[in-house]
Parts: sequence; C-alpha cells; structure tokens
Amino acid sequence: MRVYVLKRLIEIVPTVLAITFVVFVMMRSIPGDPVVALLGDGYTEEDAVRVRAEYGLDKPLIVQYGIWLAKLARGDWGRSILSGRPVLQDVVIRLPVTIELIVLSMGVALAISIPAAIIGALRQNTWADYTATTVAMIGVSIPEFFIGVLLLLVFSIGLGGLLPSSGWVYLPGTCPSMVCGVSIWGNMQHVLMPAFALGVARAALLTRILRASMLEVVRTEYVTTARAKGLSERPVVLKHALKNALIPTVTVMGLQVGFLIGGAIVVETLFAMPGLGTFGIDAIIARDYQQVQGFALITAIAFVVINLLVDLTYTFLDPRIRYA
Amino acid sequence: MGSRSLFWSRLVVLAALVLVFASVSVADAQTPKRGGTLRVAYGNEISGLDFHTTPGYEMIWVATNVGCGLVTLGPDGKFFPDAAESWQISSDGLLYTFKLRKNVLFHDGTKLDAAAVKFNIDKIMDPNYGSSVRPFYQAVHSVEILDPSTVQIRLKHPYAFMMHMLAAYRMGLVFYSPAALQKYSAEDRKAGKPEAEASCGPFKLVEWVKGNQLVMDRFDKYFEPGVPYLDRVIIRTIKDPVTQMAAFKAGEVDFIVDFSADHVDTLKGQNPSAQILTGKEATPMVAMMKVTVPADGKPKSKERKPHPIFGDVKIRKAIGCYGIDRKEIVKIAFKGKATPWAGMIPPGTEDTADVTSACPYDPAKAKALLAEVGYGPQKPLTFEILTNTDKAIFNVIATVIKEQLARIGVNTNIRLVDKVTWLNGPVAGDAPFDMYIEDLAALLVVDQNLYLSATTAAWNSARHTDTKVDEFYARYASELDPAKRKAIAKDFQEFSVDKLYWNTISGSPFYEIAQPWMKGFVYQAEFKVRYRTVWLDK
Repeated sequence: MRVYVLKRLIEIVPTVLAITFVVFVMMRSIPGDPVVALLGDGYTEEDAVRVRAEYGLDKPLIVQYGIWLAKLARGDWGRSILSGRPVLQDVVIRLPVTIELIVLSMGVALAISIPAAIIGALRQNTWADYTATTVAMIGVSIPEFFIGVLLLLVFSIGLGGLLPSSGWVYLPGTCPSMVCGVSIWGNMQHVLMPAFALGVARAALLTRILRASMLEVVRTEYVTTARAKGLSERPVVLKHALKNALIPTVTVMGLQVGFLIGGAIVVETLFAMPGLGTFGIDAIIARDYQQVQGFALITAIAFVVINLLVDLTYTFLDPRIRYA
Repeated sequence: MGSRSLFWSRLVVLAALVLVFASVSVADAQTPKRGGTLRVAYGNEISGLDFHTTPGYEMIWVATNVGCGLVTLGPDGKFFPDAAESWQISSDGLLYTFKLRKNVLFHDGTKLDAAAVKFNIDKIMDPNYGSSVRPFYQAVHSVEILDPSTVQIRLKHPYAFMMHMLAAYRMGLVFYSPAALQKYSAEDRKAGKPEAEASCGPFKLVEWVKGNQLVMDRFDKYFEPGVPYLDRVIIRTIKDPVTQMAAFKAGEVDFIVDFSADHVDTLKGQNPSAQILTGKEATPMVAMMKVTVPADGKPKSKERKPHPIFGDVKIRKAIGCYGIDRKEIVKIAFKGKATPWAGMIPPGTEDTADVTSACPYDPAKAKALLAEVGYGPQKPLTFEILTNTDKAIFNVIATVIKEQLARIGVNTNIRLVDKVTWLNGPVAGDAPFDMYIEDLAALLVVDQNLYLSATTAAWNSARHTDTKVDEFYARYASELDPAKRKAIAKDFQEFSVDKLYWNTISGSPFYEIAQPWMKGFVYQAEFKVRYRTVWLDK
C-alpha cells in the first residue's frame, strides 16, 4: 500500500508538468497578449516591445516555460503581469473559498443523491422512483448559472434578502486580509446558494449512477443472505448494499472534481465570490500568463490528488481490494 | 375662552410645533452626517493600482479618491482648486503658474510642495518611467520651482487643453509622495501595496485584495477641513448585472458604478426610490470601418493601400451613413436610452456638433451608391462585423446592423472575439477587419480623441492616412479663443462625417445607481467618481 501511494505520488509530477505545459502552449497560441491591455491607450509600439522584453515574452516558448519551471522549483509562482501581485499569494488567499464551495456542493450532491437513489432502488417503478429519476433528469439538464440566477431571484430579491446575493464572509481564522467579514453563520449564509447551485447538477448525476448500482447490489446473494439471517432492512441497505454500491459513485465523484472546478468559475462569477474560479477566468480573459499557469498548476494538483484519494477510498469500501 | 376656541388654539399650536419639528428634521436631513461605510460595486475588476501607468476606468475611480492633483474638474466643466489654491496663465498661453496650498500632506506624512510637483511631472515625462499618460505631456517644456509653494509649468507651444489635461485626462495629474515613489517599485504600486500608494487625496488605501475587495479609509489630515464625511469605502466587483440588482435590492451595496443600460428599467421597477444617475453621453458607440491595409502585408507598415471594401468613401457612406438606421439601433439595443449620433465626437463632449442630419437613414441612396461602385443583386457586397465579449450590447448592435444591411442587399457575417483579441488585433495590431462594434474612450474634449484617431496614433484602428485630421487637431488644440475653437470643432466634425474615417452610431450612456440614503454625490460621468462629499443618511 505504502509503495503504491508513493508510486502514485511520484506519477503526479509528470502529470502536472504535462498539464501545465499544454496550458502554457495553448495560452500563447491564442491571439493576443497582456501587453496591449497593460499599456492601455498610452500604447506605442516601442513601449510594447520594451514591456514584452521586460516580461520575457519575446523569448522562444520553450525558454519561457523553462524560466517558469526554474522559478517554480524555487517556490516562485511569478507575479501577475497586469496587477503585479504575487500569484502564489493570490492562490493561497482564494483557494479556501473554492475548497469550501466544492466540498459543500459535493455534500449537497450526496445529501440529495443518496436518499433519492436508495428510494429509487428499493421502490423501483413506483411513483417515488419515477419522481427521483425525473428530478435527477431535470437536475442534469439545468446549467449551474440558471439554477444560480433562479436562487438569486427567489432568495435574494423575492424573499426580501433572505440570503445574501454576493460577496463572502470568512470562517473564523481564515480571513486573508485586514478587513474581513468573519462569522460562521454569515459564511453559511453566503455559501448556501452557490453550493446548492453547483451541487444540484452533481446530485442528479450521482443519483442516476448510485440508483443503477444499488439496483444491481440489492439483488446479489450476500444481500439476500443478510436478510435471511434476520437483519432488519436498515443495516441491510446501509451497511451491506450501499457500501458496495458506492464504489462506482466514488469513482465518478473523483472525476466530478474537474467539473466542479469548471462549475465554480460560473458560480463564483455569478455570486461575486473571491475564489479560485473567478481568479482563473479573469486570468484567462486578460491573458495574464503567470496567473493562468498558477491556476492550471493548482487545479491539476487538486484533480490528481483527489483522484488518488478516491482510489484509496476503495480499500475502505471493499476490503478485498488491495494495492500492491 | 370657550372649550371650542381652546381646542382650535391648541390645534394651531400643535400644527406649528409639527411644522417646526418637520423643518428641523428636514434641516437635519440636509446636514451631512459624519461616519459610516460606503459599499460600492464595480462591474469590472481593478487591473492594477499604479496611477501613473495602469489603464482602466476602475483604477481611475480609485485614483480620484486616493489621489490629489493641482486642479480638478467640476460637473459644469469648470476647474476647481485641488492642491493648488490658485493659478495664473500667461497671456501667450505658455506659462502656467500654480500657487500651492500650504497644508497638503501625503498619506505618508510628507508635505506636498513645489519640489514634489516637479518630481512627479518630471517622472511622468521620463520615457524610462513608462507612464501611460506621457503622451498627454507633449506640450510641456519644463517645470520650474519658483518657491516652495509656487510651481510653474512652461509649454513649448500654446495648448488650449492644458488645464483639462491636468484635471481630467484619464484621472488627471495625480501626485505620489516623492519619498514613496523612490522607495517603492512600480510593481508595489501596481499591486496596491498601501505604503506605495501614498498620495494626498481624501481617502488613503488600506488594502486591495484582488478579486475580493478594495478598502480605503478617511485621511484625517486631508487638506480640506471637514471632508470626507465617510469613515470607509469598500469596493467589490460584481460582474453580473442580475447579481448587482440582487445586492442592491437587498441593501448589500449602496452604490453601483457603470450599471448596464439595458437593466436600468428592471432595477428601477424593483427599487422605486433608487437614485438613477446619468447624463449626456461622452462615450461614442462606433461601427468602425477599416480604411487602409498594409501594402506590403506587414501589420503597422507605413506603406498603405486602400482597404478592399471600405477604402472607397462611397462604400463607407453607403454602409456607415445611409445604410444604418441609428434610431432603430438605439431603440432596440439601448431601449431608447441613448442619442442617435453620427459625429465623431459624442453628444456629451465639449464642442461637439450635431452632424447626424448629414447621415440620414436612406436605403435607396445606399443602394444607389453601392451600384455606382458595382455592387448590387448580381454582385452582393459581403463583409464581416467584428464584436467582442466585453459588453453584450455590441452583439445586439451587430445583429441589428446585419439585419438593416440585409435590407439593402448587403451580406454580413458576425464574428465574436474576446476583448484582448480585439485590442491586440484590430485596435493596436493593425490586424485585418472590415467593421467592428465598440464603445471607445469617454471624451471630455475633442482633443482627447487625438490619441485614437490621428494618423500617428497607435490606436488609430481605422488606419486612415489623411493628415488633414491631424491638422484639425493641431489647430483646435492651439486655438486659445473658445469661440474660434468651437468653429474649428464644427468644421472638423463636418469633415469627419463626410469622409467617415470614424463612424459613430450613437452615444453610449453611463449609469450610476445610488441607494436613497447616499447623499452628496456629484455625477460626473466616467471622468470622476468621487466620494469626498458623500455621506450616508441612515
């Protein structure tokens, strides 16, 4: 097991580097660079040449990537070309917001999908099953921003500001600056709508997968044996059936992290949250190469590490699984 | 006295008391209250905070509160003292002498004196400093210190807009403490390090956490006694207009700067007591046509040849003048909240002239002009309209123009690119395009458009090569008589609409939305967003 984990951790390095290289090349392949925006209406060709040289943008692509890697090896993630702010500092400030959003949206997804899937599987072809399946279909079909706008209209405008529409209140001890709103209750109020908007689509997908998996598992012999032993329905379903049915669901959950980061861009923009999603999209739009690299790096690491954790979770869900 | 008359006399006394108290409370409501935090929403992120180099309105709206300059501009276009208490202009227009206030302090505690003024202007004019406002100082010859509180700016030639430039070209001249300017780098200023942002405005920067908020607090040693009233201003970015409306309705923000024109009616419906602030449009919405292309195929080459379509003035006039129904565009895209306009200078700019009548919507005339140059049903004209993702309204306008041109047998394809691609390509990069839709910079005076439309301007995106345009600008900027200047501006705009190097569709309205309890704010369009006299009545 230890060897397996070590091997996987080592594998992370080339994977992440490959991702950052692809992003590096792609960003420089699309039209435009940040220099024109940086110079504004005071732009002159001479200034543009000077600024490109200053930021090393006139060097060959592979040299630019090499410089970025060398700096990264020293812990220097670079500075934003446009704002001059250190990229690592901004990533560290914004990461907790996005982590909280993603964790809670996954929580929302599980809180909806597990009961819906169990009901759907145990009461197959009844109105309860049809309802769960239909709601799942609707959830998959509605994009995050639409759910977000609906939530805004209902809870922020319609119900007289029941929930805050935008911004962020930090959890105690996480304020990254001098002036912050800090409160657990305030934080919950701010994260509720974004987490729900992001989680509903995931809930729909997980419900469908878990329901199909549960349908298969509840018909297996060990579940019949558990019932024959006189176990009540609750431990049969929750301990024997659900635990085994969760394996494909957990796999999908790991893969969904990538979609959650993508969804976070939309949801954070809509709810004006100071997270990594808005950081990433602003960087891409402005062609702020250093920030884009920082965003690609952190999301690649997050994706790979979470999928490693997912693989390790299998051993807990099914003790027969062993990693050599 | 009977009980009846007693009742009436008591009623009169009571009414008088009510009136007295009511007048007291009205007077109270008019007396500015000190304290409170103003919560502001911007629609776009602040790109950086170096007041001398960073572009973007969002930065300017911070600079006009953290910074101070020599003079400032009032809503009526008049100049007011800022750090300079008075000024004199020599009769030949070459010497500008400013007497400084004696009590102006920078946020780092150092004093603003003549040496600090000279230090700042010299820095801006230094090509190695990389200031983006350096082109505005072309007329400046030198800055001389006459005594610690008197400074003189000598010009190379008369420049009628020297005061405008100092007061409000972009954010106008903004001073940094020389000590801070020497101690901290441009990167520190860009990144909004509070110590590096030591200027002399009514608010001092406390922090800027990009993507989260910008906080500025009252500067207690501000030179003007009694102001500002607010303790603190917090600026957040809320990009989506629906979220802006929700935040406003819920009372989470007090003030929205640059609110989307097509959502104004909805917001008004939701918040009948909201203050909707707008004025004459100072920004032009254009359907720019490319006039020349590089003869040797190399972008920005000085060797030019006419654009294959819009190099011909007849086609420019057929499409830009007679083929576009400006009134319909305003009705559909702006819901009537803009002024149809054909002149190169927008309706809210000083010395503008309405030459829209020179470009009436006339499909028959457009068709006839196209036929003259060989386009018609047998050989339909086809070109591309470029828009960008910065504002949704650009796409609406492009779609309306496409539909209008289809009526005269012209086919168009719409291509959507992002803002940076547009900036790098058609605007600064001389990349090929036929027509693009954009609202360009807000113009206080005609002279400001020089940086976008003179033949030598880097942002002359039409790439016209007519030096008569440059001559108009030069004559206009050197004419010190306002009446004669106005006449030159009129001639220039008539010339421009005839040649159509610059094709304006309409003005582009600017909206600011304030809660009913926000008092003392003075609307000055995009040019100044100042919280110096703002107070909260709650």
